[in-house]
Amino acid sequence: MSDGPRPRAGRAGWRDQLPRICWLTLVWVLLWGTFTVQTIVGGVLVALAVTRLFPMPPATDPIPVRPLRVLGLVGFLVYDLVVSTVGVSWQVLRYGPRARGTILEVPLYSSSDRVATLLASAVTLSPGTAVLHFAADQGVWYAYSLGPRDEADVERTRRQVLDVQRRVLAAFGTPEEQARAAAGEGER
Amino acid sequence: MTGVADIVSACLMLLGALSCLLGAVGLLRLPSMLSRLQAATKPQTLGLFLILAGTAMRVPVDSAVTLVLVALFQVITSPVISQLVGRSAYLSGAVRPEVLVVDELAERGRRAAEPPPQ
Repeated sequence: MSDGPRPRAGRAGWRDQLPRICWLTLVWVLLWGTFTVQTIVGGVLVALAVTRLFPMPPATDPIPVRPLRVLGLVGFLVYDLVVSTVGVSWQVLRYGPRARGTILEVPLYSSSDRVATLLASAVTLSPGTAVLHFAADQGVWYAYSLGPRDEADVERTRRQVLDVQRRVLAAFGTPEEQARAAAGEGER
Repeated sequence: MTGVADIVSACLMLLGALSCLLGAVGLLRLPSMLSRLQAATKPQTLGLFLILAGTAMRVPVDSAVTLVLVALFQVITSPVISQLVGRSAYLSGAVRPEVLVVDELAERGRRAAEPPPQ
């Protein structure tokens, strides 16, 4: 098995590997905390060794990345982290043992595994919500949310979760996926 | 000037500690595995960020830069863990249905989502 994919990964190598090498170098430099020639060169060497020792399969489905939308997504997640932490704290203090939750079925508008991973991380990072299960073959995923107490709350939560998905697709989705997400939201 | 920085730093740390405390209270008070998992992981994330921000103001710049890594890896790892544990908890039936308003995963009824008889 190691005979087959290795040479192909090697040839596809440089362009695919470059982001990983930059990222690993950055981590190395941050670990040392000093921006000197030694740490940067050392970081590049370590990154090269790591990418050589643990090769990743070449990316088959390039996903579009829109830097401004990514920044917007990061800003939203930070804002959401603060707001939702207050929300979760309120649930804890106000309801405690009588707090309720809900598990929602949400349509999945992306066919890319990597976008789904980003989506799961974004939703799960937000306090009070977590992704429980992806059923990509059925085009749905399931999110848990802490807090909803009646149907109106449930529908509001559903809109919030769909909003996160829309933002992730705005940053990383193809135009078709964004159109499907917009159409899906229009139905509701 | 240092006085202002000290006050801001202290406020950030206290807010972070408060956030972590609320997470711990939630861990004790909330009724189910899934909701406790929320309290255990999420307020801690914000709390850690605030404490790191407060710390970053009090240490030399090169140490503060390393703190960015701590925050970054918290963001990367925390969702993975809470998702894995949450899913295992649900599939193993650790979630009592009466604490859920709506459970559309069970409504599908095709997975081993029903709580097994204990």
